[in-house]
Amino acid sequence: MSLKDVTYRFKEFWGDFKREKSGLIGLGILLLCIVVVIFEPLFLPYKDVNGNWRNITYWQDNSPSAPPAWVNLFTKLKSATTRQLDNPEITDEEDPEYGPVKTYSFTYNYKYDLPPLDVIMHAKGTGMIVALLEIERPDGNIVKLGQLYEENMEDSQIRYAVETDAKAMAFEFAQQYASYESIANSDSQSVKPTNVIFSQAAADMLEKRQSLKGEYVYRIKVPAFLLEDGSNHLDDLNLVLTGRVSGIMGTDTAKRDLFSGIIAGLKWALFIGLITSVISVLIGVMYGIISAYFGGFTDTAMSFVFELFVSIPVLPVLIVLSAIFKPSIWIIISSLIVFSWVGPVKTVRSMALQIKEETYVEAAKALGAGKWRIIFKHMAPLLLPYSFANMALSVPSTIVFEASLSLLGLGDPTIITWGQILHDAQGAGAALNGLWWWIVPPGLFIAVMGMTFAFLGFAMDKILHPKLRTR
Amino acid sequence: MYKWYALKRILRGVFMFALIMFIMSLLFNQVSEQTQRTQIFEQVKQESMRLKDVKPEYIETWRTNRTDQLIKLYRLDRPYMERVLFRAVNTITFNLGDSTLIKSSKGDKKVIVILLEALPKTMILFTSAALVQMLIGVTLGLKKAQKPGKRLDRTTSFITMIVFGMPTWWLAMMLILLFVYVFKLFPSGGVNSIPTPEGIMFVLDRLWHMALPMITLILLGFWGLSFVVRNIVLSVLQEDYIMSARARGIPENKVLFGHTMRSAAPPLVTIIILSLLGSISGAIIFEGIFSWPGLGNLYWVAVQQNDIPVLMGDLAMTTGLYQGGLVFLDLIYGFLDPRIKVGGKA
Repeated sequence: MSLKDVTYRFKEFWGDFKREKSGLIGLGILLLCIVVVIFEPLFLPYKDVNGNWRNITYWQDNSPSAPPAWVNLFTKLKSATTRQLDNPEITDEEDPEYGPVKTYSFTYNYKYDLPPLDVIMHAKGTGMIVALLEIERPDGNIVKLGQLYEENMEDSQIRYAVETDAKAMAFEFAQQYASYESIANSDSQSVKPTNVIFSQAAADMLEKRQSLKGEYVYRIKVPAFLLEDGSNHLDDLNLVLTGRVSGIMGTDTAKRDLFSGIIAGLKWALFIGLITSVISVLIGVMYGIISAYFGGFTDTAMSFVFELFVSIPVLPVLIVLSAIFKPSIWIIISSLIVFSWVGPVKTVRSMALQIKEETYVEAAKALGAGKWRIIFKHMAPLLLPYSFANMALSVPSTIVFEASLSLLGLGDPTIITWGQILHDAQGAGAALNGLWWWIVPPGLFIAVMGMTFAFLGFAMDKILHPKLRTR
Repeated sequence: MYKWYALKRILRGVFMFALIMFIMSLLFNQVSEQTQRTQIFEQVKQESMRLKDVKPEYIETWRTNRTDQLIKLYRLDRPYMERVLFRAVNTITFNLGDSTLIKSSKGDKKVIVILLEALPKTMILFTSAALVQMLIGVTLGLKKAQKPGKRLDRTTSFITMIVFGMPTWWLAMMLILLFVYVFKLFPSGGVNSIPTPEGIMFVLDRLWHMALPMITLILLGFWGLSFVVRNIVLSVLQEDYIMSARARGIPENKVLFGHTMRSAAPPLVTIIILSLLGSISGAIIFEGIFSWPGLGNLYWVAVQQNDIPVLMGDLAMTTGLYQGGLVFLDLIYGFLDPRIKVGGKA
């Protein structure tokens, strides 16, 4: 079949396809997904999520089990969202204790009712660094967070988290204002530092926690003489305010940003679905044609193998296979192909049996065309279009198979798939603890993926089948 | 005629099952043997601890003798093909040996006991769900076929496409979230409350536990079914003899159930049973979500505890059931299709 034929047939097909509304919706979603996959880094809030999904330290600054940020629109008390502040303002100041200091200050405008869960300072340091950390509140009070002392650093990461490192100091601050009883009822371990820092200073500040809104200044004061000689550095400072709500889809119990996971899982879902169904349907179509065309003993033997594969329950076998061999994603894809090529065989075989008797096949034979020439030139081009609908329709089940394996914990741990996210959710009892943002999106995306290909497949099916296109 | 057809089909099913189990034994031979060796080693160690008042050297020789004896018993010293064959025969005859960790509710470690305990629970859930699905699916499919392209047909077809790729187990999670966490209407899992009530309350309690899994299965199950029923019935409705029946003034219901359904029945039964078989194989995951202690849940437990004998036994059982379903399908098909039933030309 020449290129002209192909374009002509495609145009004809497109003319029919344009009239299928659901097919167009499916095509639209599919194109959107492909765009997202190609420009993935633009959509990822956490750029290095691929490869770091199971790296605990990568996610340590996030808050665990935080609902999505847009939940704030529906709640009365607004929760602080996650913010990262870069580029501190650098000034030279006089400190009563340290003398001349270089001050790095971050300004944070706090306008919520529920404070952040943690305030974390990051920096890269070289040599020896001594720093005084403090927060100036909108009411003018200063909360001293403590001292940072690091030496023998070589571009090392410095991390100072208020939640863990400034508990005692925050409690001390509260002691200045809170009533005697409330202090007696608590100790430095039970008090949450951010609750103290972001509350109005009053006698009931430990119980009521009226939030104090306004501008907070986080200061890092480093003695000026330390930085003078050039052997000691403090660079790349940033401040992370860990929100109670986070991102577009929230976080899971292991502090991972779910939106990043979902976006990173999209390419795998598409890839697994498409490659498996395209290859297996092609195999199935060729199998059916060959079986029908050759007939006789070949047909009997091939039908028997087909029947054998049909009799195998796919998912159980896949589960046992992956449980025993702990395969990589490539092996999973190959075994999916091994078990799912049977889909189109029966229909294709019966169609091929009809085509085989057509006069033009007879004519080709009379002209001396070989078996393979007839199969590839005269039979396959007629039957392949039919298989496109089949390909689209077998994508959803492939995605669900992979997701099911992952849900059982048998997926490839080096990649992120939606099934694995759901596996973690199921393991942490997300449904029973009400962490809806952990289970709704991954499954919804699987379902939408299935819907997309169903739209495409049904639309193509309507156009291409069962009318066999004859010339 | 039908007798011979049935016999042939059953024998073919048994042969297929045996062949599949042989392939599986070949595939998983190494890991099965490893587990068996570990089991033998453990057994010998335990038995030797029970020996009293004997010399240490004697224990050593006793151990090697006993190990050799057990290895001979399980034929682990035989050539490769014989071992595989032996294992396949054992699996086919459901002589599945002991589990490594999992126990039945009475503490039995025999794999077959564990499997037989789980089997009825799977059957009760899926047969009842399948019946409801079939009922709704066929009714809806007929309704759709009667007025193709009209509003009911279009909307239901649209929903069918929407739920086409939705995993049952995800819907299960969602319903648990909704009905267990938010509304607190149903239990989150299990077959019965603990302590288990008795008498009529037992039945009610069981139904209460079955409600949510059933709802999940039914909600997703009948859409695809109704779509296929529609297509098959529609193609029959376009036949000339239906038109002539209608022209003769035969009531529409009689045309539908008497004329159409009779000739649509064989492919309908095929599709219905095939889709039910497919749903059962997909429901493996689903049972785990509801901790419904059936064969599917057993896969979860066996995978988590890495219990190879139970995994293999479960696979044999599921394959057997699947094979049985396929045979059953062909038997009904043969019964409904007059060409096979009376021995006409197929």
